[in-house]
Formats: sequence, C-alpha cells, structure tokens
Amino acid sequence: MSKHVINVTVNGEAHAVEVPAKRLLADFLRDDLLLTGTKRGCETGTCGACSVLIDGEVVKSCLNLAVQADGRSVTTVEGLGQGTNLHPLQTSFMEQGGLQCGYCTPGFLMAAHDLLSRNPSPSEEEIREGLSGNLCRCTGYQGIVDSVKNAAEKMHGR
Amino acid sequence: MRDFDFLKPATLAEAIAMRSSLGEEACLFAGGTALLLGMRQRLVNPKTVIALGGLADLRAIAFDSQHGLRVGALARHTDLARSPELRTHTPMLAHMAARMANPQVRNQGTLGGNLCYADPATDPPTALMALRASVVLAGPDGERTLAIEDFLVDYYATALGASEILKEIRVPPPAPGSRGIYVRHLRTAAEHRPVANLALVVERKGAVCTRARLVVGAATAVPCIAAKAGEYLTGKTVTLEVAAEAGRRLAQEITPISDLRGDGAFRRAIVGVIAKRAVAEAFGLDWKGAQA
Amino acid sequence: MNSPIVGKAVPQVTALEKIQGRAIYTGDLKQPGMLHAKVLRGPYPHARIVRIDTSQAVALPGVKAVVTGADTPTRLWGVAHKQQRILATGKVRFAGEEVAAVAAISEDIARDALDLIEIEYEELPALLDPARALEAEAPQVHDGHDNRVKEIRIARGDVEAGFAAADLVHEATYELHSQYPGYMEPMATLASVDGNGRLTVWTSTQSVFLARARLAEALDRPVSSIRVIQAMVGGGFGGKIVEERSSLIAAFLATRVNRPVRLVNNRLEDFQSGCFSVPCRLWLKMGMTKDGTITAKDVRILANSGAYAGLAPEVMLVTAMRSDNMHRLENVRSAADLVYTNTMPRGAFRGFGGTQMAFALNSHLSVMADKLGLDPFEVHRRNAIRAGETSVHGWQFGSTGLRECLDQVQAGIGWEAKRRRPKDTGVRQRGLGMAAAMHVSGNRTLGNWDGSTVVLRVNEDGRAFIASGESDMGQGANTMMAQICADELGIPLSHVTVLPPDTDTSPFALGSLASRVTINGGKAVLQAAQQAKTQILDAASGLLGCPADDLEIDQGVVRSRTKSNATAALPQVCRYHVFRHGGEGILVRATYDPPTKMMDADHYGNIAPGYSFAAQAVEVEVDTETGQVTLLNSCLADDCGKAINPMAVHGQTNGAAVQAIGWALYEHLQFEDGRLANGNFADYTMPTADSVPHLQASIVESNEPNGPLGAKGASETAILPGAPAIANAIEDAIGVRITELPITPEKILAGLRAKREGGHA
Repeated sequence: MSKHVINVTVNGEAHAVEVPAKRLLADFLRDDLLLTGTKRGCETGTCGACSVLIDGEVVKSCLNLAVQADGRSVTTVEGLGQGTNLHPLQTSFMEQGGLQCGYCTPGFLMAAHDLLSRNPSPSEEEIREGLSGNLCRCTGYQGIVDSVKNAAEKMHGR
Repeated sequence: MRDFDFLKPATLAEAIAMRSSLGEEACLFAGGTALLLGMRQRLVNPKTVIALGGLADLRAIAFDSQHGLRVGALARHTDLARSPELRTHTPMLAHMAARMANPQVRNQGTLGGNLCYADPATDPPTALMALRASVVLAGPDGERTLAIEDFLVDYYATALGASEILKEIRVPPPAPGSRGIYVRHLRTAAEHRPVANLALVVERKGAVCTRARLVVGAATAVPCIAAKAGEYLTGKTVTLEVAAEAGRRLAQEITPISDLRGDGAFRRAIVGVIAKRAVAEAFGLDWKGAQA
Repeated sequence: MNSPIVGKAVPQVTALEKIQGRAIYTGDLKQPGMLHAKVLRGPYPHARIVRIDTSQAVALPGVKAVVTGADTPTRLWGVAHKQQRILATGKVRFAGEEVAAVAAISEDIARDALDLIEIEYEELPALLDPARALEAEAPQVHDGHDNRVKEIRIARGDVEAGFAAADLVHEATYELHSQYPGYMEPMATLASVDGNGRLTVWTSTQSVFLARARLAEALDRPVSSIRVIQAMVGGGFGGKIVEERSSLIAAFLATRVNRPVRLVNNRLEDFQSGCFSVPCRLWLKMGMTKDGTITAKDVRILANSGAYAGLAPEVMLVTAMRSDNMHRLENVRSAADLVYTNTMPRGAFRGFGGTQMAFALNSHLSVMADKLGLDPFEVHRRNAIRAGETSVHGWQFGSTGLRECLDQVQAGIGWEAKRRRPKDTGVRQRGLGMAAAMHVSGNRTLGNWDGSTVVLRVNEDGRAFIASGESDMGQGANTMMAQICADELGIPLSHVTVLPPDTDTSPFALGSLASRVTINGGKAVLQAAQQAKTQILDAASGLLGCPADDLEIDQGVVRSRTKSNATAALPQVCRYHVFRHGGEGILVRATYDPPTKMMDADHYGNIAPGYSFAAQAVEVEVDTETGQVTLLNSCLADDCGKAINPMAVHGQTNGAAVQAIGWALYEHLQFEDGRLANGNFADYTMPTADSVPHLQASIVESNEPNGPLGAKGASETAILPGAPAIANAIEDAIGVRITELPITPEKILAGLRAKREGGHA
C-alpha cells in the first residue's frame, strides 16, 4: 500500500498529510479533516452530494483521490461561509426553499457556486443545466432554482 | 477499493517507462472519473496506478490551418467546451463537450481518458470519428498515429499498446464550407448518457450534398461510419424525403447493441430518426412539421 | 389571532446548520472505538442455505465479529406478520437478503471479510411473477403457507345496479410499478451498548418509537433497555418507517462486540435493503351517466408484497378503497389480493398505495369523460364530496378543498384556451391532462390510537423547548411545531427549540407517517402552548397585579390590555414563576387524540381527523418519432387546510410533483432472473433539475375544523395526481392510452404503431 504526503489547502488552511493512495478525496475531507458537510450519496458519481471546488471548479470528491488534490486548493461547504459570514447562496437557499432534508444541500451550493462564477446571471434553463450533476429528492428543484436566481440577483447588488 | 501504488510521473517519457516496466499490473489514470468507479466497485483492481495529472504539456489545445486541431489527451471536457480554437474551427466538438455528462465530470474528465476507457455510452468518439480524427500514441519506440476507427476496437477495448500512452488527438482542418452536426439522444431527459448518438459532417453546393460522413455511436459497441447512408446522400438534392431515406438506410446498416437501456430495435429506430433530423438540419430543412 | 409567524414563509428551523454543512446525520457520527459494519447478501432469489463457513473472515486481522442468522435471536419481527430474523436462516427468499454481517476496525476490512465468508446454497425454484403466486404448483415463498399475504373484499351499495343505471361502462387493466424512495441519505445507524448493557441507537428514522419497538422485538429485549435517538434525517418518503433492515443488523452487532458499530449503506446496499412501493395489477370497471355522475366502481387488485409482508397489506388496503372517498359514490366493490414472491420486500412509500389507484381512477375518468363529451374537470366537480358529508366508507369531511384545487389548476395551466387550440400535427405534439386525488391526514390504526403528545417547557429566559416524538425527516415538521408554538406564546421563532426525538426523553409518538404530524402533532403543540401561556399569564398576574385575562404576550413581553405601564418581559415572568412555585418552571404536557375511529372489520369508519386533496394539470409534448415525453408545464394545487408555512408546503408540493414525474417517466427498477439489475443512480434515473419544467404550486386553505389553526397534512397528497395527469396529457397529445407504467419511449412508439395499423385496418 503506498502512502503519500500531500500538500493541500482546504478552505484556506494548508495541510501536509500522509494519506493512502486509495483514499478518496471525499473520505479524506470527511474522515481525516472531519469536514462532514461534504456528503456521500452514491458510488456512481451521480448524486453530486460530495461536490467540492478544486481550484475554484466544481468536481465530485468521490471521483477524486486525495492524492490528486496534492498542490491544489479545495473548498468545501464549510469554507463557503460560516456563522455571520454566510455566502449569498447560503442565505438564498434558506430563504427561498432551496433545501428540505439538507443532505444534498452542500453539493448543490458548490455546484451553484461554480455556475455563478462562470455565469453571473444565468437563465432558469442555464441554472437547471448547471445543476444537472446533482440529485435532490425533496424539493423538486424549484426551490433550489429560485434560490440560485435569488443569489445571483443579490450578488449583483440588486 | 483495494490498495494500490500511486505513481505520478513528471514527464511523458517517465510515464512510458513506468508503463513499459509494469505492464498489465498498472493502470493509466487521467481524470479518473470512470476508472475510479470501476476500482471502487472492485471491478478493476490495478496493483499500480500511473497518474498522468502532472503532465501539463498534454493539456494544450492548438489549431493551425495546415494540421488542423491538436488536443492534448489530458484536456478536460471543460477545456474543449471553452476553447476558442474549437469554438471557431470545430464548433460541433465544442458543443458536444459543453453538454456531455454533467458539469462536475466535465471539469475533471479528460478527452484522452474518455477515449481510452472506450465506454460506448459516451459522446466524444462519435464526434471525433465524423471529423476524421486520429490519435497519437507514444511508446518506448516512438510515436504512431492511428485513425480513431482503428483505435477503438470494441466495448471497453482499444488498440492502445501495453506500453503506450495516448498523447494527442488530431483533427484535420475542416473542408471549406463543411458543416458538422452532433446529436446526443437521451432516452429520457433524466438520463445523462446517450442511448444513441450521431455525428454528421457534410459538404454541400446549394441543396446538393457533395460529401457526407455519418457516424453512429452509443447505439453500437463502438462508433461506426454509416458508409451507405453517406454514399446515398452524396450527389443528392437533399429534401426531407431524402433525409428520411438516409436515416432508413443508416438504421439498416448498423449493428445495434441491446441492453437494459434499450434493445436493438429501439436503438435502430432512434438512429434512423436522429440521422434524418441531422441531415435535414444541415440543409436547413424543417423536420418538425411533418411526421415520418 | 394575530399571526406574525404562522402562515409566513420562514426558513426551516434546521436551515442554518444545513447550509453551513454542520447538520449532523447518522453517517457523520463517530465514537471512540467505533467499528464499521458490512453486510453479505444472498445472490439467489430463492435458495436453501446449506453451509456457512466464517472461519477465514473471523481470522482476518481487524475483524471483530462475524455473525450469521444462526447467531441472531430466534424471536421473529414484523409489522402484523412476524416472520423475519435479523439475518436469514434456513433459506433466502429474495436476491439481496442479508445472510451475514461483519464488524471490523475499518470499512475496507469489513468489506474484505465479506469475500472470505463461504456460503453454499442450494437454489430453489423461485416465484418471480406475482400472477403465478396463487397457482397450485407455484413455489412456496414461506414453507407451509400459501403465497397469499392478505385478501380484502369490500362491497357497498349495489354495484350491478349501478352499472345497469350507467350510460357508459368502461373497464381496463393497469400495471403500476414499484418505486425506490430515493432519499438522498442512504440508511445509516450507529449503535452502542454501554457498561450497564443499555443499547443506544442513533439512526435515520421517521419514528424513533416504532424503531425502538422493532429493535426490542428483533433483539428480544425489553423496550426500556433501548434508547433510540434521531440524528438529522436525509429524507425518508416512507422507506424509513419500519421496513428497512440495516438498523437491526447494526444494533445486533453492537450487542455482540460491546463496541459502537456504525453501519452506513452505500447506495447499492440501500437499493438492496431498502423499501419500495407496492407494485400491482389493477383491473377497474366504472359506470357513468351522461352527465358524468359515477354510478358504480368495481376493482380487482393483485399486488406484490415481495418476500415479506411488512406494511404492504396496509398499503394495498389504501389502493383498494381510499380514492372512493373523494367522490359521492354509493356502489363500490373491491377485491384485492396481496401475494408473496421471491423479490425484494415492498411496502410504505409516499402516498401509501394511493398513487396506484389514483393512476387507474384518473386514467379511467379521462377516458370516460372523452367518450361522453365531458370535461374531466367537470366530472370531478360533479362527483366531488363536500364538507359536512360522509363518504361511502364512513369518512366524515370537515373540510374539502377539491373543487378549489380543480379551479386553481384549471386556470393555472390555461386549460380552456389550450383545449380549444387546434391539435398539433407535426412531429412533436402537445397535449393537456389533469388528475385529482385525496389522502388522509392521520390514520387511526395502531392500537386504536393516533394521538400525539408534546411536552413544552418555557425556560427562565422566556424561551421554549418542545419535546415531541414526532419526527422531522426533512419535510419541516420541526419548523411547523416551532411556528405554532412561537405564535401562541408571542415569542420569536428563534426562541423555540424543537428537541431531537429521543425515546428516553421524548413523549411516546408514532412519528412521521400517514401525513399525521401537522394535524395531530401540531394540534398537541397548540394545546401545550395554550396551557403554557395560561401559566405565564397567571404568573404575570401575580407579578403585575393585573387579572390574567387582562394580559397578553406580544414580542416576548407580557402587557396589560388596559394599563399601559403594566408590562413585564417574559424572562422576568418565567423567573418569577420558578420562584413562586418552589423551583418548578413552566412545564406542560398536552395530548391530542383525534376524534376518529378504527375501521371496523368491514373497513368502514372515519379513520382520520382530516383529509387532504390535490389536483394537477400538466401540458406535455410528445415526440412521435422518438417516443420522448417532455413535460412543458405543471400546475399542482394542494388543499392543506391552512399553510402554517407556505414555503414548506410549496416544497412538499414540488417535491411530490417531481417524484411523480420520476415514477411516470424516468424511474424503472429492472430485474434479471429476480436480481435487481439497476440498483444505482446512474441506471435508476431519478429526475434531475434539467429534466423537469418550472413548476407551479398553489395552495388551497379549506380550514380543517380538527386541525391546528385549520391545518391538515401537506406532504403525500401531491404525489398522487402527477402520473395519471401525464398519461392523460399523452393521450390528448397523440391519441395513445398508456395503462402500464413507466411510460417509456418504447411504449409510446408501440402505441403509435398500433394506432397507425389500427387506423389502416
């Protein structure tokens, strides 16, 4: 079994950690760094609950090995905003019915973050496409789409 | 997932050397989106993983009018979708890449990884074959170039040698005035893998088709060139009926696969329809008005 | 009552922790010394277990326990039918049945150990087709018992006379398939036995008390020796009530190793050990007069329970009779049979059997309306039951919003104008469809009781704690309770904390099922809050020297209505109460048991304190060459009595609409030789954001007299009309009637082919 020391920045904090080669990034975040906001919902890379940002782009952390994150910067939901310093997406998800059970929420927030970073005022269709790599079983997506739209408006200062 | 050794070569030469010495025990790992799924389900159990992520040279996308497009094997689908070179010179490819799978996979999966994995239910091989793409394989004894139809052998099988690495994908410059159309057919809107797809490159003089290359994928084990449909179209003044006949001929000349996502008869019917529509669209005909 | 909080679209009380990624679900919990569990499942639909050898697995370093059926308590567990042990013994009855389990120091080692367990099976003939279950030579799923789980026969009025009086009689057979609940959090359990031998179980459940009762039965130990705590639950949809099996395995392992054991299903395991809706074949015959009055309804059902009974008998009863109550019917007859097969157990799922009959009934109504030249909205309106009436099965309606639901969606979709437009003739053709349905809010079944108890404490800072055993599985029950409480006490929502359900400290409750929590739990909260308010005002009366009936609470301050300077902040009043009552704080308990009846032996009786209604209209576009169906528009109205939280109601409505779209168009469990062939999210395709349209949800407030502030359930009814509305719209679009779900492209194309060939004949 090979082990590797990786240098990875997670939510702005630098870590030099030894991990086995087979450690998934999702497990590294959850089990080694105790950042359990990133969820696991499937084995097929389908549900998107484990979505995180690597160097600002959204990926599924269950489809990444921790060693692949060596030298890179990872942002999880915990790094999006905490306490009184919440990201507009987070407040919009609360206010617009963007969540129910909450299990898919971290993944949706990260996917939405990626979307808005590329496309600051997406149409409803673009939002739906941008979130097509994430599953939600509670909301029927309408509240989530509304939340992203709302956040985009807030971020434009409207 | 079982334990494995993880190697991260810094150069292509180093990667080839590792692969040569480790042989079958080692697995190449590009973006990892597909391979990790197999490894996690213990369907693929490599002793060693050779991760190519460090080979920055293999990410470049370039175009020149003489050689056409060169895409490094590690270019991600996102890179393809956003590439000004692709959007200008092979918009069909950029468009294909922009909607394949889902955003997360596009941000991670690579074109080379996609081709080497050779999953039939995917988009790039079909589009590339229609564009007469070739692949450059680098091995200990140098490089060789294969047409993509010679590279893709069967379900999950390619002509990649045991000590080779896919380095680059080349697409010749498009013929002047040619137009490409790529159709990804999803069985339902909730499925994100194509049950059938079709790529078409046509050259035309007015309403007359002077050259047509149609490639069907996802409905077949590997993408296949529908030569008869292409021949049929060549020299024809394309009408809706001609487009429909091309679709019918194309549907008859392929050998469709059957699986849980659709039997052969269904896939055959679908490729006929999407071929008709692609041909019609290429010639500015409205297929929506009349039923087949 | 001035309601600053009830009726407002406030964020869920769990929203803040969820959007920060700080909500703790069971799979996030860790304990010192915790072991990880993995489960080995039988590969055959029906096989005798000849021999099990676990010695190699036991010897693997890091493995702490390997258990098989022989190790498990011999007491059988089950809902009404006690028939399962924690792990299979003797034989396996469906592919995927649990035969052994491992606890190890890591999940990987536990997984490795599974490969080292040797099991020899002798395959037995498997019964896979429910239609064969009652044949004499069919394999017996349970040795010594025939394959019939339950038969239901209901007859009221004179069905034959009803048909004789009809101008149109229509009959058809429908095939309704099974749906995976698809909650995003796979089942997870952490179990631990303490030094005194007490077992504590954190689990993802819709009901901590039903979970405790089932653990006590399966583990054969006293209820009081078990504590069940609900962690945050990532969705349930019926699948986390009493039928999943992984929590029992985790708890059993914990009793064997005396270390905490966590068992977290991966998705494939969740597909294999989860709970699916009950599939059935349903034959329906209805009679109607020219004006659309339904004169008789006759139904025959063959439903598939899978290998065990679970809640499936209750589900089938709902299919057999619930929808009868939404209309003024007199002549109805149902003959329903539930059978065992060697397939995975089926049972509770959102709608609880209602979706199956709603599909048949609404398909039927649409066909019959067309034949009679009537609008299906008018047919529903003509037959709709009204408030104050009693239905054919004895259900009493204090509120009915069916007609208002119909009005809203008919207008919302633009029904009249779109119905008048010329039919599309091109490749893609649009169509409109509608459906309507009803559901219970509460259901008096278990132990002739459907009540709810709330313990409410107002602390010395004037803030409230609600202890209830009812459960929030994501739907917003805690928010509903907090809103009612905050409004009644005149305090901000943030001053109410709903404690997590914990069997050691929460009052007994049935939990989140049968859409009962708002109407019963909400009512208990309201009553508790009223009592607490009385105590607060009594204390304030002493403090301020004003009569209690002169006082009110507003924004956390008690004030006199008549004396402007007589005010006291709530903390002051609450502290005063503690001092004046020997240290006793404000602590009240309220129980609400609704004025309902158990069904009698003939399935007659008013089982629920309220009944919810919903109607939906959809517009589809069908691609006549590819068979693809695109949903263009959906309008769904839900009669929830009173929307305590409109945002939560909309969330339920939209979520249900999409789950119904999935059932109708996208989701399809596929089997090969009895084995589930697509137990993963790549191949079992649930709707994604880009596969559904912008959804319109609207609310009807019919003001239920039994409900808290007029509210009744708003979670299940909305899933009922979606599938038939889509099927009806497809027929409107292309003239093809689909009677078998799911509606696949192949079926659309086959239907069009048959229509063309029929047309040429």
